Amino acid sequence: MKRILATLGLAAATGAAAQHEHHTVAPAATAPAARAWTQQPLLLPGKLVRGERASALLRPQGLAAAQVTVYAPEGPAARLKVDYPVGADGARIEAATPKTGNYHWVVAREESGAAVRVASTAWYFGNPGDSPKELLRTPKHELEIVPEPLPREHGSYRESEKWRFLVRFDGRPQPDQPVTLETAFGSRSTALTDAAGIATVVFPRDFRPAEKKAEGGHEGHGPRRVPFVLTTVKESGGRKYLTSFNLTYGQDGDRGRSLGWGAAFGLAGMLAAAPLLRRRDKRDNNHA
Amino acid sequence: MLKLLFPALSRFRMAVQLVMLFVTVYGSVIVGTYMADKISNNLPALSCAYDQMNGGYCVLIPTQHILHHRIGEAVVRAQQLTFGMVLPLLMSFVSFFAFFFVLGKMFCGWVCPLGTLQELVGKLGRRLGFGLRRIEKGDLGEVKRVRPVKWLLLLGLVFVLPLATGLGVTPHSLGNPYCDICPSRVATTLLTGNTEQLALRVNDNVSLVLGAVANLLIGFMLVGALAIRQPFCRICPLLAFNAVFQRLSPMRLQKKMHDNCGKCGICSEACPMDIPEIAREEGRKAYHEDCTLCGRCAEYCPQDGTIQIKWGPFALFSSRRDYYKNKVKGELPDGTVKPVKFVRNAARPAADPADA
Repeated sequence: MKRILATLGLAAATGAAAQHEHHTVAPAATAPAARAWTQQPLLLPGKLVRGERASALLRPQGLAAAQVTVYAPEGPAARLKVDYPVGADGARIEAATPKTGNYHWVVAREESGAAVRVASTAWYFGNPGDSPKELLRTPKHELEIVPEPLPREHGSYRESEKWRFLVRFDGRPQPDQPVTLETAFGSRSTALTDAAGIATVVFPRDFRPAEKKAEGGHEGHGPRRVPFVLTTVKESGGRKYLTSFNLTYGQDGDRGRSLGWGAAFGLAGMLAAAPLLRRRDKRDNNHA
Repeated sequence: MLKLLFPALSRFRMAVQLVMLFVTVYGSVIVGTYMADKISNNLPALSCAYDQMNGGYCVLIPTQHILHHRIGEAVVRAQQLTFGMVLPLLMSFVSFFAFFFVLGKMFCGWVCPLGTLQELVGKLGRRLGFGLRRIEKGDLGEVKRVRPVKWLLLLGLVFVLPLATGLGVTPHSLGNPYCDICPSRVATTLLTGNTEQLALRVNDNVSLVLGAVANLLIGFMLVGALAIRQPFCRICPLLAFNAVFQRLSPMRLQKKMHDNCGKCGICSEACPMDIPEIAREEGRKAYHEDCTLCGRCAEYCPQDGTIQIKWGPFALFSSRRDYYKNKVKGELPDGTVKPVKFVRNAARPAADPADA
């Protein structure tokens, strides 16, 4: 069964590229530093180059990192983990290969004395690529917040939805660990992980009407999205670890939609078809 | 054992359809979130990307998106239309064809969840005794008038408008116009209990109109399918897309001419797509662009070996007189079965005048 699925996956993957165009979970445009909505460490995208598929610009914010590290879901061994220097605009990261897509895991790290601060995010390159299952399963730094799962294509974190995040330390799930959610609209909440280290996070219904791009909203024609960050802190071995995971979330799908009008047009279609039901078939169907 | 479970081809097909309906609507429950993204991105059936629980996508999505985002935008940037830009589109078609090579147009008749839904509604219509309406001369009009619609939808909504949007000629809300009017998007998401796709976007006029069309179509389809077999399949651009490649798959319908061909017309009557050519033509002409390879014509052909479903040199099913005789005992060629009658309980004694 696995082999069949893998074969189907291989065949399908070649054509998957096109389905990753208008998406979804690429981190939102940066919020101006002057209006920073959080003090937590973040990895925020720089200006997206239209049509650029195999590279992206990510800028650490809230921590001093000289480099960002990109973990790829597949590719040559030397490209599975690559460090990119942080320049004035941020770090220009690349997919494992020009044709490798799907989620890559990105980390920026700052160590000062006994404090370790890590910003992490996931970046979706719009090309075929292995699913992030193994990528997420593999520990990449001490304290981690791991999405369980990442949103599918055409999907995203959205207002009012519950999503699960695993917190682990040195690869081990951490029960009773507080995880704090902050959103660009100013909401803040904390969830505790369960016995399996899973924090169930409810995204607040806090979208305000679109005003300007300053909120860090998604630029482009897709659904509107703004950034959020999850943070957790743990002390171990005399060191204090702070890890964040930031991405974007979108509006509740019901916003801007009318179920009433939708149902009305559906009913209108039904009424239009109703005359077809009036005439009974009188033909002799005796073929036996 | 297999024969006991599936005494007729149509029962086997229905079993396959129900399994595929589950896979294409709820597939991720079985194969996991990430694998569901990958197993069938180009499954050439209407398995909807808007359904977050499914196990398959539809080739019409990448086609629209590539034209919108890649080719159109590349041309705008005044770059050469190099292989680097055309290749993704070709690769999408190639991976589609990898599936298509094996099953051919059986995807329409055996896999497509929307086709299955329409067929289930049609069976309900026959059970409830709604008269069958046919798209033929003397009833709803000649079928040839309907046939160009699917090609126009494929050309206009899958190719032209997404490309025009990529070029910046049309607004972004016309980037994937076929998906926006596709009733499968509404139907499969409703099957997962999600009403979001049924709800209309009211803050964008183009989206509002496209969504309204989709809802009119799904409404029409749900009621119309009680009387007309496979109403949406007849205008589905995926049928046209598959028709382009149908000669390239070894899976095909093969018909030889028999003395009775064109006289009894039972095969045509059995055809859910009302294809008259199946009765009067042979060879390539009998395997028509509208054919979904459901196999009903072969099941209901009373002549031995006249109609076959073949994969390469192998005949997977051949028409047989004894099979036909058994088949019509349970269901007539037009799908009519013993209707459910809602009658008063005949056993109940008449009201006692003394009760009055």
